[in-house]
Amino acid sequence: MQVFKIPDSMKKGFKYTFCPGCDHGIAVRLVAELLDEMNLKEKSILVASIGCSVFLYDFLDVDSIEAPHGRAMAEATGVKRARPDKFVFTYQGDGDFASIGLAESTHAALRGENLSGICINNTTYGMTGGQHGPTTLIGQKTTTSPMGRFAETYGYPIKIAEHIALCKGTAYSARVALDTVAHINQAKKALKKAFQVQLDGLGYGFVEILSTCPTNWKMTPDQAHERVKNEMIPEFPLGVFKDVTENIDKV
Amino acid sequence: MEKNYIIAGFGGQGVLFAGKVLANAFMYSGKNVTWYPCYGAEMRGGTVNCEIVVSDEEVSSVHKQDVDCVIALNQLSFDRFITKIKKGGRIICNSSLIEEVRPRNDIEYIFYPMTEKATESGNHKLANMVSLGVLSDIETSLDKNIFERAVDTVLPEERKHLASVNINAWSAGHCNTLLAC
Amino acid sequence: MAEKELLKGNYAIAEAAVRAGCECYFGYPITPQTEIGEYLSQRMYDLGRGYVCAESELAAINMVLGAASTGAKAMTSSSSCAVALMQEALSYACSDEVPVVLVNVMRAGPGLGYIYPAQGDYTQAVYGGGNGDYKMIVLAPSTVQECIDLTYKAFYLSQKYRNPTMVLADGLLGQMMEPAVFSKYPYPEIDNSNWALTGAKGREGRKICSVAPSEEKQIEHINNLFKKYELIAENETEWEEIGTEDADIVLVAFGSMTRNIKAAAKVLRGQGLKVGMFRPITLSPFPSGRLNELSNHVKKFVVVEMNMGQMVNDVKLAVNGKTDVELINRSVGQWLSVEEIVDGVNKFIPAGVN
Repeated sequence: MQVFKIPDSMKKGFKYTFCPGCDHGIAVRLVAELLDEMNLKEKSILVASIGCSVFLYDFLDVDSIEAPHGRAMAEATGVKRARPDKFVFTYQGDGDFASIGLAESTHAALRGENLSGICINNTTYGMTGGQHGPTTLIGQKTTTSPMGRFAETYGYPIKIAEHIALCKGTAYSARVALDTVAHINQAKKALKKAFQVQLDGLGYGFVEILSTCPTNWKMTPDQAHERVKNEMIPEFPLGVFKDVTENIDKV
Repeated sequence: MEKNYIIAGFGGQGVLFAGKVLANAFMYSGKNVTWYPCYGAEMRGGTVNCEIVVSDEEVSSVHKQDVDCVIALNQLSFDRFITKIKKGGRIICNSSLIEEVRPRNDIEYIFYPMTEKATESGNHKLANMVSLGVLSDIETSLDKNIFERAVDTVLPEERKHLASVNINAWSAGHCNTLLAC
Repeated sequence: MAEKELLKGNYAIAEAAVRAGCECYFGYPITPQTEIGEYLSQRMYDLGRGYVCAESELAAINMVLGAASTGAKAMTSSSSCAVALMQEALSYACSDEVPVVLVNVMRAGPGLGYIYPAQGDYTQAVYGGGNGDYKMIVLAPSTVQECIDLTYKAFYLSQKYRNPTMVLADGLLGQMMEPAVFSKYPYPEIDNSNWALTGAKGREGRKICSVAPSEEKQIEHINNLFKKYELIAENETEWEEIGTEDADIVLVAFGSMTRNIKAAAKVLRGQGLKVGMFRPITLSPFPSGRLNELSNHVKKFVVVEMNMGQMVNDVKLAVNGKTDVELINRSVGQWLSVEEIVDGVNKFIPAGVN
């Protein structure tokens, strides 16, 4: 009996370059499984971002293009407008999606672009070594908020999934986590829906994934998942913030 | 031989339209021509103008520092451009809105009550077309047929029915004006 | 042959893009090029092609990058201070070898500057305002007819060499009208099936990116880019010259200033001076070889430009000290008149010569 199989949508012989205990690996695998299950690999165009998330194009065996920092949703818009028959998605970090790229992310949602966006929220800039970012929690110490984030100077973290849900062109917006098996299963369902709304031409599908960064948080993988549960989820509640298909079902 | 014209007036007097008609007319008469407008914020709160350069050869500078002939449709335009006219040049003035004074003695003046004549011809807004009639008294290469064709080209589809009233206004300026000056 | 019609430069560029087969336009308004986006909003809609009022110029150029990565012909247009915003994406597009087409209708700078015309973006266009070693192809029209012809050419060259290509016009050209004619798009269509992103069907996934996994690979990538730039220079360098065979003095300009130096050269010939004119049509690749050849007999090059002296540096590099290079310039605004150019040239001639 086969108990484990690498998804066909993963590149042959790939090796993850993520840090041990980082949830990126799980998120990428979920995406690959869905590309297999939904038969999307051959029609997919991935727009990669800047940050740890950039390496997705080394792991997924799909057509892909890099985007300058923050511009993934603009590039994806261009790809989709040129080739509406393709499945176009982005995979971005919170800095890329919600800080430098907030304008592009918001306007793609407002235009109701038929795109699927995935945003990894780990409350820090991982690639550059753990700096303060748009989702850094109040009190969280980073290399550029060594005293801990305090609102008077640093302002407040952004709630991305709620923000995107406010945009009228958004078809689906959810926040999920990867700290437990149950949450991983929920995450996969959310991703599937964010993909499906694009395929159905309903508009912008978005999933924010709460993720770990054990290296920069200076924690073990277990401690990092404890932090997701105890500190992140209370600030960034899990759930579906918009789902136009619910309304369609009711009709 | 290269010659340039500036048409200037209030926003709404059809300055750019008249300029395009004139430029097309020159094109149809076989000349090389360019049309260049003032644009953007320059147009807010004052005069609008455009410059037409006509040449037998390739047009050189499209926007020149001085001018051979000015068509001034209002007082502000007269005041602004009177100093830019070349020695021996000409200004054609809408005397309905411009005081008949001659501050320079090295240029030629033509005063003609264009707004009044436009009103008589059927539409008080068409002083711009009257001015082109006046001009074609001097630029004799441009006849009525050419202007009819030019007006037809410049009028957008939904306004083609205004061609005849425009040509009437042109006629109200043509063939009378040299007597009037 | 279609009849000439009086066309505005901006409309000429926009309609030429349509006729070149532009499938997607993305843009953001800025004077003096806004008519391009206005015109295309209706035209592209009518044709069922892609059009997005982008949220910024940053977004616009990256939308072009995305669309062009699928092999689609795509374009944006903008002006000076907003083209500055696009420089990062142009660096990416050069490294990614994506055939972006960009129109810059130059206005005055630096900073916000103002809306009147200028030629201050020569250096930015030719040398690049983005990071790293890269080159765009840069075409400079001087008439409304060339706004059409060089827009056609920009689409062709960008596809042929998979290289971002810019049409560098100015506010004067964008706003002026002149008789011109839309000829048929004269270039062959380029097969891009071997690189464009179309979905990994029956093949491995393609990756378009500027990140090489090792220093050696990165060096190889950049060397390959520069081999391509050499090939472009060999094949595509284009210029116009009049009266240079016997010239002692050659006036050099680009873009719409070409009109003024042509007239000035005639006036100076009339004064008994042996004066010719030269203008690069491709600013990148720059016709350095021809200028160097001319410097064997030309005694003085006089560069005329509406900036503080940008192209003059390339002319100096081209002649490499063999002959004098002078500059007649103004920073922005009123184009140098034919008379000013004539007077300027006369000032460079020592008393008693001729």
